[in-house]
Amino acid sequence: MSLLTVTVAAIEQVTPLVKHFTLMKSDGGALPAFSGGSHVVVAMNINGRTHRNPYSLMGSPGLNEAYHISVRLQEKSRGGSAFMHEQIKVGSSLQITYPVNLFALAKRAHKHLLIAGGIGITPFISQIEDLRRTGAQYELHYGYRSPEHGAFNDVLKQRCAERAHFYVDSEGQRMDLRALFSQQPLGTHVYVCGPNAMVVAVLETARALGWPENHIHSEQFTAPPMGEPFTLRLAASNMEIMVPAEMSMLESIEAAGVDAPYLCRGGACGRCELEVLSTNGGLMHHDHFLTDAEKASGKKIMPCVSRANCGYLEVNI
Amino acid sequence: MSLAFKKETFRDDYTYRNSVQAIKRFPFPFPEDQYMYSVNIEPHTKGAVGSVNEFSFDVDEHYVAECEDKRITLEQDASRCVALPHMMDAQWDFLELTMEALANDYPEHFTLTKEGARWTWENRPLKIKTTFTFGDASTLDMEPFEFMGRQVQGDFVLLDQRDGTLFADAGIVTSQADWSLAFNAGMSWNEWHGPVPQVTKLGVMDRALKYLLSLQLGSPVRRLNWTMTINPRLDTSPENYPFWGGDRNLVTAENAGDKVHLRVELQTLFRLPRSNAIMFSIRCYLISMQELSTFPRWAKRMHRVLKNLHPDLVEYKGITKYQAATLQWLSRLDDGAVLEIGTHAE
Amino acid sequence: MERGYWIRSKPVYSTLIWNQQATAHLVVAEGVGGGMAVLKLFQQMHPEHPITVLYADHEQGSVDYSATLQRVVPEGLQLYATDGAALQAVKAYLPQARMGLRIYVAGSEKFMWEIAGICTEYGIENDEICKELTGTLARSVYCVHCKGITHDVHSNVTACVDCGRMLFVRDHFSRRLGAYMGLMVDAEAPGVLPEIEEIYP
Repeated sequence: MSLLTVTVAAIEQVTPLVKHFTLMKSDGGALPAFSGGSHVVVAMNINGRTHRNPYSLMGSPGLNEAYHISVRLQEKSRGGSAFMHEQIKVGSSLQITYPVNLFALAKRAHKHLLIAGGIGITPFISQIEDLRRTGAQYELHYGYRSPEHGAFNDVLKQRCAERAHFYVDSEGQRMDLRALFSQQPLGTHVYVCGPNAMVVAVLETARALGWPENHIHSEQFTAPPMGEPFTLRLAASNMEIMVPAEMSMLESIEAAGVDAPYLCRGGACGRCELEVLSTNGGLMHHDHFLTDAEKASGKKIMPCVSRANCGYLEVNI
Repeated sequence: MSLAFKKETFRDDYTYRNSVQAIKRFPFPFPEDQYMYSVNIEPHTKGAVGSVNEFSFDVDEHYVAECEDKRITLEQDASRCVALPHMMDAQWDFLELTMEALANDYPEHFTLTKEGARWTWENRPLKIKTTFTFGDASTLDMEPFEFMGRQVQGDFVLLDQRDGTLFADAGIVTSQADWSLAFNAGMSWNEWHGPVPQVTKLGVMDRALKYLLSLQLGSPVRRLNWTMTINPRLDTSPENYPFWGGDRNLVTAENAGDKVHLRVELQTLFRLPRSNAIMFSIRCYLISMQELSTFPRWAKRMHRVLKNLHPDLVEYKGITKYQAATLQWLSRLDDGAVLEIGTHAE
Repeated sequence: MERGYWIRSKPVYSTLIWNQQATAHLVVAEGVGGGMAVLKLFQQMHPEHPITVLYADHEQGSVDYSATLQRVVPEGLQLYATDGAALQAVKAYLPQARMGLRIYVAGSEKFMWEIAGICTEYGIENDEICKELTGTLARSVYCVHCKGITHDVHSNVTACVDCGRMLFVRDHFSRRLGAYMGLMVDAEAPGVLPEIEEIYP
């Protein structure tokens, strides 16, 4: 993948857990324009290992002097968010991919219903810029745990006015998804980004109310689940490596110097898919991409999030 | 680099000819004596100096004449340029991509200056100079896609990515090999590839789609495709088939050298930034069998590829009627010597 | 030409089956075949949510299903004398509809794609409309040369109603136009036509 080198130009503490980083191209040039909902994958060097995390691009997709990302300090961090919060300073240098969009707006939609939870607000910020610019019909519903955790809600109130609705958990405010989805005009698309429980609730409610699958869009940046260490044989590279508990298969393959394709690193897009050649037990699928039948067949695996449920696995990379 | 733009026609009297330099840089597509269809995609990175792959968009000696031929086709049939309403962002992406590339790669012919969103574009070969506001279509006298589509050689299709596939939602198509934009506009990948023979290509089409869905910004790709045309005619559209279809009957073993042309399509694919759409460009290079035989190696290779071509492909590429005459013409130049693998001229 | 190829662009239609998650249902049908398709649909257990049935019963003298439909469809049945009137009724229905609506159409290919065209204006995609082809295989043919569309074509070759050229009726179909591509069949050998076969009765 093509990479860009950026320098951290500013860091802002937005909420107790969230920091906003402003990134500018290290050689002073312009950064590529991007489409609302895009993310970049940031490569971090943590104790000699390269750690890669995806972060949504906020900010205006058209203006390209700087990119803006926000990082929430995760409770069970594998090191990425802690590194960004504690090690990265103004002036630090980072390597990022070009923008990738796996959460694009449906251009022919008549209305866009945006549902955000917590740090899941970030992809909507650039989407809202595109929606405002094109004069599209939209509504934002943003839920967060308590007032001080509502990242960017001042900016959102200003930009979206009556189109934005806020739900503060600690004040007992809840989204009524059934009511919301029952009254939308034809041609509405719904987009959700937030904690897993919220994403699942939105998907299930929309489906149960007869919304067609291609009107429902979601994005989740979940960290790859940890598990037992196992031996991984890379058949085409003729290598055998160990996948430790706290590293994903994809990360282990990359650490071994093998170039593996990826886009979302979260089990959603299918880009990293590998063929399983042999194994001495079962597989643990954590992705949202393979069908149930494909998962059961044991012939394919998503190395970004899934693991072997046994001591040995051989794949075709 | 100085280019003398030729005054020539791609219809009626067909005065189109390649200079020696143009013949030398021709993208000859056959590395072996047998042609096998494949996805054959490679990164569209800067190629050898003077080659057709040197720059993102190739401007050659036929530039002015080709743009004029495009203008005539569009004047006769406006449906050769279509852009569905939701593709405006993609249109601006296309304008930015082509303007910046041409100004950067051919500064002697094109200049682009920017003052914030006010851009001034000068295309000296076509005598165009205009100042406009990027993003505001009312400041150009036609939509951005058509504006630049008329100023770059080749056909362009903008593909909207949604529902796990690609849709041909905008196009400017005046030099196609036999498909109709007016008919295909709005079709999905599977729909517009419907007529392509499935027997050998079913898996290839699906794999190509999967590959394109994850095409990355900053990492364009390219591939070569080929067919044959009678006379150096760019507009071999189904729309005008009544006018060019009959030409296939006029080929003889004596005139095949002048009439039969190898038509190579250089196809490039770029991910576009603001729209997340994919730009697909199809650029035609035409060369007569006579011109091809300037390099004996190419004439021999062409002879063998045509002779060994699978009957399905002969029919699909419309070569059936003149294959025999063309082989007769080429066979005089083939001494049967072993040719090494490779597309080089000599 | 490519008759022997299996062509992915040719739409394949199904049987009308209720979508269990939908929160409203709109059924539109025309002719004898369409009437039968709706009767078959009502043989399945009806979903709970509101159902509207728009039926254009325009064939007089042959079998008439409108009386049977009046007995079988519990409520929400509206009858029209022409296809055009039924299409107008669809246009009147859609503005007040909400997400969760499923649409079911039964009739000729032309009828179904005219309704699909109206639905597109409301952001409803083709896959969201359940289509059952009934009554006739007649094709609408788009002349790629003059862009005219010739309707009710029953054979593999037809004269273009606008420019008169003889067109071969391909299987390549445009959903946007609701028509198959017609390409001049005798461009290379004027007057020489293949055998004309009535294969779309």
